[in-house]
Amino acid sequence: MNWQDLQVAAPEIIVLLMACGLLILDLFVSEQRRGLIHLVSLLILALAAIITLRGIPAIDAVTPVMAFGDTYVRDSMGDLLKVFAYLLMAMMLIYSRHYLRQFDMYRSEYYALALFALLGAMVLISAASMITIYLGLELMSLSLYAMVALKRDDKVATEAAMKYFILGSMASGMLLYGMSMIYGATGSLQIHEISQAIANQGSDNMILLLGLVFTVVALAFKFGLVPFHMWVPDVYQGAPAPVTLFISSVPKLAAFAMTIRLLQDSLGGLHGDWQGMLLMVGVLSIALGNLAALAQSNIKRMLAYSTIAHMGFVMLGLLSGTPEGYGASMFYVITYALMSAGAFGVVIFMSSKGIEADNLDDYKGLNQRNPWFAAMFALLLLSLAGVPVLVGFFAKWLVLQAVVNVGMTWLALVAVIFSVIGAFYYLRVIKLMYFDKADIETPISAPSDFRAVLTGNALLVLVLGIFSGPLIAACMAAF
Amino acid sequence: MLIQEIIFYAFSIIMIVAATLVISVRNPVYSVLYLILTFFSAAALWILLGAEFLAIILVLVYVGAVMVLFLFVLMMLNVDLSRVNEGFVKNLPLGLLVAAIMLAEILVVLWYKGRTGIEDFPIPEPLSADYSNTAEIGQRLFTQYLWPFELAGIVLLVAIVAAIALTMRKREGVKTQSIPKQVQADKRDRVKLIDMPVEGVEDK
Amino acid sequence: MLSEYWPVIIFLAISVGLGTALLVIGGLLGPSKPSVEKSSPYECGFEPFADARMKFDVRFYLVAILFIVFDLEIAFFIPWAVVMEDVGLTAFAAVVIFTLELAIGLAYLWKKGALEWE
Repeated sequence: MNWQDLQVAAPEIIVLLMACGLLILDLFVSEQRRGLIHLVSLLILALAAIITLRGIPAIDAVTPVMAFGDTYVRDSMGDLLKVFAYLLMAMMLIYSRHYLRQFDMYRSEYYALALFALLGAMVLISAASMITIYLGLELMSLSLYAMVALKRDDKVATEAAMKYFILGSMASGMLLYGMSMIYGATGSLQIHEISQAIANQGSDNMILLLGLVFTVVALAFKFGLVPFHMWVPDVYQGAPAPVTLFISSVPKLAAFAMTIRLLQDSLGGLHGDWQGMLLMVGVLSIALGNLAALAQSNIKRMLAYSTIAHMGFVMLGLLSGTPEGYGASMFYVITYALMSAGAFGVVIFMSSKGIEADNLDDYKGLNQRNPWFAAMFALLLLSLAGVPVLVGFFAKWLVLQAVVNVGMTWLALVAVIFSVIGAFYYLRVIKLMYFDKADIETPISAPSDFRAVLTGNALLVLVLGIFSGPLIAACMAAF
Repeated sequence: MLIQEIIFYAFSIIMIVAATLVISVRNPVYSVLYLILTFFSAAALWILLGAEFLAIILVLVYVGAVMVLFLFVLMMLNVDLSRVNEGFVKNLPLGLLVAAIMLAEILVVLWYKGRTGIEDFPIPEPLSADYSNTAEIGQRLFTQYLWPFELAGIVLLVAIVAAIALTMRKREGVKTQSIPKQVQADKRDRVKLIDMPVEGVEDK
Repeated sequence: MLSEYWPVIIFLAISVGLGTALLVIGGLLGPSKPSVEKSSPYECGFEPFADARMKFDVRFYLVAILFIVFDLEIAFFIPWAVVMEDVGLTAFAAVVIFTLELAIGLAYLWKKGALEWE
């Protein structure tokens, strides 16, 4: 460890220090002044964003920089993903404040655990060694399990936490098993040394291949891809809405980075082998996700199945194995996280007085009750469905282009067909909002910071769609 | 060498049998006890590999502490033994089918590739007599793996925060002794002097 | 190194052998005439009030978790203590930071009242 290592890992170190500081601060802040914790959390995120964007002053930051005995890597992909992780988390915190008060969850543990989960995601994004990948993953997952269970007296939330925990631990076990095999076959835990070893000894090693299988299974678990998707709908439904928002955004960015680090950076030599595996889970996810979402009457479950389908799309870009495909997938996962954050923001907005508005019927006639929010929600849903001009369309377009460029036109065709089927359930919600009569006609509103952020969130989807160039270029430049 | 092999096979067999029993006995408390036996055999195998420190940690932390937690949880849950195996027969065919498919897949991959990989792993050099596993771990952990080491500390911190958030409840109306309050007690808060006429004495 | 474990192996063998032998001999030679009264639970002569397997309070669990966390902390110190002189100041700093992380945890749980037994 030296001074330069600390500079390279400055974003993580700042978040770590500040999260610990927040824990201590909380001990001396009375219940009535909880708003202070909220503000400090937002400040931490802003500070982390500034430090991440500033880069490393001493070095030219374009090339990946390793630190801490090659267990940490700072590169442009990581920086971009981290900045969006801060943004998503800040949105989550602003969306959730009102909700937390009403649901008797306004406790400082929520903020501390969220910050630790973010730290885990950051570590995972910047991991250059199998050990760091595992520790980052566990740090993130453990905090998330606890966050899901924070509504302690709620049976459904506890059950969701239990399922999430058991299946998540299974996935971690699989990952460790795969990692140990890869270590056995290559003799190293460092990502670049593994890829070197594979280049030297060839890829027909059995142990290596089994290790790859377990790794892909673990990744599919974490992404929630078919056939490892069982936990997704239950957890999304059972978790408190702000936590669902969090699970559907930040961890997806981290899981994307983890996939790149594991499959591309270390096991890139086995591309031929993992391409088929990703193809299978990707196509199954797109098909089952979209079809099952049609049958849902609960909006959180519907959005959960939609997540599964979207993550299938992310796999399509990854399996192409080209820098273009990786860039497209990264663009997809970032924009998906933004859209999903907005959609769950509306779910949070609709929930009040201890009752979560998670039935589709609760959205009937939203246009009469709050036209502006109905319009914003419609915008987000159209983007999720992939309607042109909105950002969701460009994300799908780029991924499909990458797939076609490697000669898998049929795959692109299958994906398009299921997306068209999937568009139906997004449009159904829009129909409910605009053409059905509300059961309760009382207007609803939200605090001003909530309104501002949700509006910004939805308009971002529009703006990123119209001016998608810079973000696409940044994603493509990362590979 | 022969004695080492005998010990290796003895502990391996104990471990496999115990691990099988963990998932097959009816009573969860017995499962936990078999799990202890499994960990213990694993610790013996690790010592054979020269990983003394890890073996001791396995016994201390897992057998000594984690298993106690397991037993706590079992006592807290009050598992109804008669319902543990409900649905076992009903789900057996499906389970067997999935297991068979997975086994078949593994075998297909093994045959298809043909290379078991065992020849790729030559027998490692025997460790020298003064090899210390603890010192090796120390030398790596605090220099090369410093970043993961600090992260492990944070994972433990999250465990503390999560455990408090999820299990701690403040009870209302509990009578406890508060030493600071006792020390701060002042006569002005407790004793009240009231002027009263004394009986039997004449006012002058 | 392994030869140092001879006493442990011998100790294990003797204790396992002795334990098994005592159980087996006792089982073979001892008289066994169970009856309903003999095998029913005995509680100072009166009928037992309730099931012996009562529910545990969740607070025990909290204490156990906290014990494990600090148990692991100590476990991490041992390798450092062994090589303290070789690894130098960086390792010392690392251990101090690690300790501080858990000290924050300790301060947190103390102030939150997790150590109070109400």
